[in-house]
Formats: sequence, C-alpha cells, structure tokens
Amino acid sequence: MTEVKKATAAPGVFSVMKYASAVLIIVYVVLLMFQTSVSSRSFDTVASAVEDSLTASSLKERDGQRFKRNFGLNSADYEGVLYYSSESGMSAEEVLLIKVSNTAQVRKVTGAIEERIADRTDAFEEYAPEQAKILADAQLTVRGRFVFYAASPDAAQYRAVFDSSL
Amino acid sequence: MVFSSITFLFFFLPVVLAVYYLVPERAKNPILLLASILFYAWGEPVYVVLLLLSIIFNYFCGREIDADSENPAKAKRCLIAAVVFNVLILFFFKYYGFVLDIVNSLVPEEIAYRELSLPVGISFYTFQEISYLVDIYRRKVHSQKNILNFALYIAMFPQLVAGPIIRYEDIEKQLTERKISIWKAGQGAALFIFGLAKKVLLADTAGKIFEQISADPAGSLSALTAWIGCISFAFQIYFDFSGYSDMAIGLGKMFGFEFRKNFDHPYVAKSVSEFWRRWHISLTSWFREYVYIPLGGNQCSVSDNIRNLLIVWLLTGMWHGAAWNYIVWGVYYGVILVMEKYVWGASVDEMPCIVRHIYTMVIVLVGWVFFFSPSLGYALRYLAAMIGGGAGIADMEGWFILTSHWLMYLAALLCSSRAGHAIFRKVIGAFGVIGNARVKYVAGTVAYMAVFAVSAAYLVTEGYSVFIYFRF
Repeated sequence: MTEVKKATAAPGVFSVMKYASAVLIIVYVVLLMFQTSVSSRSFDTVASAVEDSLTASSLKERDGQRFKRNFGLNSADYEGVLYYSSESGMSAEEVLLIKVSNTAQVRKVTGAIEERIADRTDAFEEYAPEQAKILADAQLTVRGRFVFYAASPDAAQYRAVFDSSL
Repeated sequence: MVFSSITFLFFFLPVVLAVYYLVPERAKNPILLLASILFYAWGEPVYVVLLLLSIIFNYFCGREIDADSENPAKAKRCLIAAVVFNVLILFFFKYYGFVLDIVNSLVPEEIAYRELSLPVGISFYTFQEISYLVDIYRRKVHSQKNILNFALYIAMFPQLVAGPIIRYEDIEKQLTERKISIWKAGQGAALFIFGLAKKVLLADTAGKIFEQISADPAGSLSALTAWIGCISFAFQIYFDFSGYSDMAIGLGKMFGFEFRKNFDHPYVAKSVSEFWRRWHISLTSWFREYVYIPLGGNQCSVSDNIRNLLIVWLLTGMWHGAAWNYIVWGVYYGVILVMEKYVWGASVDEMPCIVRHIYTMVIVLVGWVFFFSPSLGYALRYLAAMIGGGAGIADMEGWFILTSHWLMYLAALLCSSRAGHAIFRKVIGAFGVIGNARVKYVAGTVAYMAVFAVSAAYLVTEGYSVFIYFRF
C-alpha cells in the first residue's frame, strides 16, 4: 500500500516542481524585459537624437575609413555607425554610436573602444593631462544592441540623451 | 569566457584542472558544475539564472515523463508540454524581434516592442534538453535522479556555449563512472592545442582577410577577390567551429569524458549530402533523429520525403539565426539535397572524383555567401561579383591577397584535408625511426608545446576573437 502511494505521489511532486520552475522562468523573463531590454527604435532615430545633442562645434562627422583607422572595426559589419571626432589632433573629444547586428559583436566593439581609450590615455597623459582626464571620465555603455561611447566634457549630457532616446 | 582567451588558458583552465584532479571522486562532478556555472556567468551574468531555471524545469519534466512511463498518453502530454515550453523560450529570445520586424514591415502602424539580447548557448542547451526528454519518452534512457549530474550534463563548460550537442545516452554512464588518466588527459590536451591553433592561427587570419574584402561594397569586387573572400570565409568558419569542437572534445577528455566528433573533414566531401554528414555532425544528427525521422523520414512517398527534407532544412536555417539570409541558406540546402537525391545525384556519382569535389565545393561556397551576407540584396550582389558582375574578372587587390597570404591558404588547405594531420604525425613518427619510443614521445610533446606557444603568442599580440557559433 505504501509502495503504491509512493509511486503515485512522486509524479505529483515532479509536476508541481515543473510548473513552479516554468512560472519562475516566465517571471524572470518578464523581469529581464523591464530591467535590461531596449526598445526596438531604429538606428537612425537614436543617431539623430544623439547627433542633435552634440554641442561642440569642433566635432566633425567621420566616415568608415576613419572609424576603421581609429577603432580597427569595419562599419559595414554593423547595422549602423555614427562617429564624430574632434578636428583638432590635440583634443580627445569623440562620440561613437554603434548598433551591432548581433550580440556577439558587442564584446568586440567594447574591446576596441577600451583599447582606443587606453592608447589615447597613454598618448595624452604626458603633454595634455586635461585630455587624459576627459578620457578617464568617458562614458561607455551597452544597451541591447546599441553601444555608446563619448569622451567629452559634455559626455554625461550626451549619455543622458542617448539613454532617453531608446 | 572564451577558450581562446588568455584568462581561460592561463588562469581558469589550470586552476579548474588542478582542483578537479586533487579533489576526491565524489566531489569531481560538483566542482566541474561549479566551474561551468562560473564559466557561463563570466560572460552572461544575467542569463546564468535562466540557464539554471531551465535545468530545473527540464529535470522535473524528465522525472515526470519517466514516472509516467506506464501511462504513455500522460507521458506524451508531459513531453509535448515540455518541448513546446522549451521551444517557446528559444523562439522568444531568438525570433520574437524578427517576427515583429516582419509584422512592422507589413502593417502601416509600427508596433513598438522591447528586445532582449540572445543568451549565449541557448540554442545548444535547449536542443540538448529536448533530446533528453524525447529519449526518456522513447524509453531509450531513464531520467537522471541526481539533479547535480543532470545540471552537469546540460551546463558542462566544454560544450555549453557552442556544442557539440551531446545526447544523454552517450554520457549517462560517464556522469557517474569515467576514467581519468594521464594518457587520456594528454590526448585531450593535444586535441585542445590543435583546436586552439586552428582558431587562432587559421580561422582568425582567414577572418581578417574576409573582413577586409567584405568591407568593400560587393559591386566593387572583382571575381577573383570575391572568390578569395568567399574561400577565406569558408576557411574561417570551418577552422573557427571545428577548432572550437576540437577544444571542447579535448577538454572533455581532460575531465575524463568522451564526446563524439562534430566534424570529419567536410571540405573533402564529394557530394552535398556527404558534406552534411561531415559538417556539424551533432546538429544534423539531432535534426535527423528528432525531426526528420518522426516526420516519416524516407519511409514514405517521394512527395512526403521532399516535404520532410525541406522542413528539416528550413528549420536548420532558422536554428542558425533570425534573419532571412539564414532561412534562404537553409532552404537552398533543402532544395539542393532534394535535387541531389531525386534528380542529379546518380549522374554526379558517375563523374570523376575531382569533378564531384569541385561540384560540392562550388555549392558549399555559394551557400556561404548567403550565410555571411548581412542581407539578401548583398548576397545577390556578391554572387554577381563572383561571376564577374562587379569590377571585372581580376584586380590588383585579389593578386595582392593571394601573393601575400599563399602560405596561410596552403596551410588551411592541408589542415582542412586529412593531409595536414598525416604530415604532422609523419614528422613525429620520424623521430620514432631515428630514436626509440621515448624520443618520439618527447618530440611529439615538444611539437605540441611549440604549436601552443605560437598560438599563445598570437593571442597576446593580436588579442582573441569570439567564436562565430557563439551567436547561434
């Protein structure tokens, strides 16, 4: 009798645990949607908002070749690239917005940006410490498939515009 | 974490191996599981919770299906519910944005939605979980009673993020009884080093050439450059993925596990169906076992068999990603395989060996164009360039790449056939002729260490790149 009870009770427990874990998965995914997701806004919409916020007149839009030279990345590999950098070689100011085609590209892009920050910090540290400070305070963030980087005295302001444009 | 990163090679792996070998037998599985969770959390701190919940869900589903084995109707209901839930989760992460983009392109009003990034390895571990549940239902295996062992089967770090997709029946016994020996660990280390060299020395070099060529608009490429680009991608994806699989199988051996091979020199194939028996074997056999055969396989009418083949290849394309180019790539292979089976297969078999090989490679290379293209328009422009519709037949760029990288292409050609490995073994074997077995053993060890040192030097100077199949 006890044996029969055991045999029938076990599937019931498994079933309850199965439903409980399924509910937890759904709750977790819903939480993720609120915490880490981003809107489906197009690259052009976000880029236009970021572009409008750029106040420094010395910033100039750069093409894919300059982007490749500075970051070692091909603009054609990504859904969209917006790159502004200072016309002056004495300035570390630059703003970059990338929408990657897939999440596997995120690490490659952030790695390239971090390398660029490190290289430029080395270059500026000796003779232009104020530019090195700008690089130290640079904003780098990943939101979904968007990667945003800004090195500028107004970097925090640009970042806020980027965040609100999503 | 990536196998070909300095952190993994010089910190994570040595520490995990040392602890794993030192702890008593009963602690080995928990240690390996803990290391696997840490490995996953390193790159995916957010999704490690999803992985663990998915393991718990499938563990209880497996127990329930097994407990209901005397009541097939109930077991079937449990199985269907579990498979549907797993597929829905996979579909949500992988295709939800893609489907809404399609809807948005069809309706006048845009539906705003929020999207999540794809959890690394979800396509692989979901397929592993589904195969586990189906095999329990089919009574090929019993459910795993120990949840830690089940978690280890799903999350074992050598195969977690990009396969091979391991069947539970292949590993069930090994979860509790496996042999760990210096000989096996040595074999595993050798395989791992080979995989690392494939990835770092060949895949990444070929990838740089492909990256350089694909950065130009497809319309500005000569036929020569377009073919070189396509061949470079073919080498990149083969050495990248087969290198990863070698590393995974090698790591498995170091921990005492035996995994089936995932690649068997696919580029030596003499028909497209043979190519797919040699490429990503664990995925193609998964689709055969859990989709093709249940649909009726080839034990049905010709029209039903054609339907089955097309469904399997459409799903294979979709599995690779939520984009039209992957769907077209899958359907392309479906159609080719149907034609090979029912139209021209017999004629191809009668052709000389070299012609069959060229036929296969041309079809495979054209397939890779659909695979690597960011859009269908780009794929068509690239294919046009391959037949001279871009910047003519040949240009300086193509000749320059060929003359400056001929050694890499030669090495890639050798290593993608059986010749490369045979030459390496012959060189090591020569030491056995001139000396004794110990000399041969030392020469082999030195050769492997040299390959490892060169790969590590490349990693230090060039940095590591992420494996292509991580995105699937």
